[in-house]
Amino acid sequence: MNWNTAVYIVMNPLFALVLSPLVLGLIKTVKARIQGRPGPPVLQQYYQLRKLFHKEIVYSEDSSFIVRLGPYLGIAFMLTASLFVPMVFIPQTGWFGNIILFFYLMITAKFFMVLGGLDAGSTFGGMGSSREMTVSSIIEPVTIMSCAALAFVLKTTSIPEMFRTLLAGSIFSYPTLILVGISLFIILIVESARVPVDNPETHLELTMIHEAMILEQSGPKLALVELASGVRQTVLMALLINVTFPWGLAGLAGCASLLLAAVTMAVKMLILAATVGLFESLLAKIRFFRLPDFFMIALFLSFITIVFELLR
Amino acid sequence: MMNTGITGDLIEVLFVLILGTAAFVITQRALRSLFTLYTIQSVILAAIAVVLFAEHRTVSLLFIALLTLVIKGFVIPAFLRRTLVVLPSKRDIEFSYLTPASSILLSAVLLFIVYTSFSNVAEVLFSDRLFFLGGVIGVSLALMGMMVIFSRKKVVSKIVGYLTMENGVLLFGLFIAEMPFIIEVLIVIDLFMLIVLSTIMAFGIDSSIEAFHKKLTQLGMRFED
Repeated sequence: MNWNTAVYIVMNPLFALVLSPLVLGLIKTVKARIQGRPGPPVLQQYYQLRKLFHKEIVYSEDSSFIVRLGPYLGIAFMLTASLFVPMVFIPQTGWFGNIILFFYLMITAKFFMVLGGLDAGSTFGGMGSSREMTVSSIIEPVTIMSCAALAFVLKTTSIPEMFRTLLAGSIFSYPTLILVGISLFIILIVESARVPVDNPETHLELTMIHEAMILEQSGPKLALVELASGVRQTVLMALLINVTFPWGLAGLAGCASLLLAAVTMAVKMLILAATVGLFESLLAKIRFFRLPDFFMIALFLSFITIVFELLR
Repeated sequence: MMNTGITGDLIEVLFVLILGTAAFVITQRALRSLFTLYTIQSVILAAIAVVLFAEHRTVSLLFIALLTLVIKGFVIPAFLRRTLVVLPSKRDIEFSYLTPASSILLSAVLLFIVYTSFSNVAEVLFSDRLFFLGGVIGVSLALMGMMVIFSRKKVVSKIVGYLTMENGVLLFGLFIAEMPFIIEVLIVIDLFMLIVLSTIMAFGIDSSIEAFHKKLTQLGMRFED
């Protein structure tokens, strides 16, 4: 392992970890402003995490080791997955970055969260887990189709290689990436449990999915779960940004270029976060059994990407 | 002959955008957004005609672009929006035969079928890859419009399906069978009359003559008693 890779391995997860609460905070602020409220401060999520890390942990007496282990596994899988999507610069070595493995790492993290929801035997947890798995199994073909479309267009399954190819070209060389971009946006909305699919702001309501699963977690464990879902969102955002607008990503590690690339990426990420906030404010939550209609658009767009590429 | 430089790339981006709007026309439930989508689709079509004009310098292409922009970009959407005033509900949530999810899947299949059947004759028929692409997307768009017609229950959204179909025919005409300009004009006039008649029918079919007159007055049409 050379110096370049070492910097990458430290920097990429750290970038996602540090930025994700800010992204969440910004989405909340944008939504609040649109609703005419001042909303919480943008840095609220950081305070929230600090508060949670100082609290004690309470476990249900019916719960097993799964609830205790789940948050660690979740954050570990997410940080590993974050290695697969270069956010600041593209590493030289190609031993990681397979897009299919990337999505499966994310699914595994979700799987342990679902188990954690079921473990304590509370009704809300079970309901949340069941819904989460239903949604996951419907979005799965869409995700795979989008991976296939990306791999088909860019002729590689390695995410860093994709970004490298994209940096060399322009949107005119790959017009179909507009369609893949829309698919990835829908996947981002679903995976980060945002409005038309789930409502991240409700607690103890019959509509919640993600929040219902983590009701049993408390204190630092809850903070880890929150961080993991923040990282999940940030990583997917980075994938979407770099697929549709990769310019600004540094090709090589160098002090000045790294700083510039990090700032550029952060700005792009915050613009996307504001867009997500706007999108959430414009839509109402979709009824659970109508969700497939929403996902099908992503599937269709990925499919016609492949047909379009065949045609070209 | 079309070169594959910047013009070709630009047209491909516009094709992609057209396919994107087609997907949303199939699934969108709010009528206002449905009309906006149709407007966007028509403006993109006009843009394609302008790009083609820049390449070929055929004046009729410019006229087609202008006609599309004015009639389909402004007049027809404006007329459709006026009908919203009279309509009791602003959303179309009724579907027959196919749910939006299955029509989306079916249209993906349709696109693939059109592609495979066209690729058999591609060598003979199309001098250029881009024309092949335009033909396939044009026919698919027409088929998707047809699917909107039979899967939607409300007449207003059926009209949007018909309009999408006509957009597909126009796209096909731009790239494959070059229609004389006069026929293009006649099609648009037909289209416009059809919109007027079918919107009137959409409101009048379930009401008495008196109530119908009242509704038409709301639409801005005056009648002598």
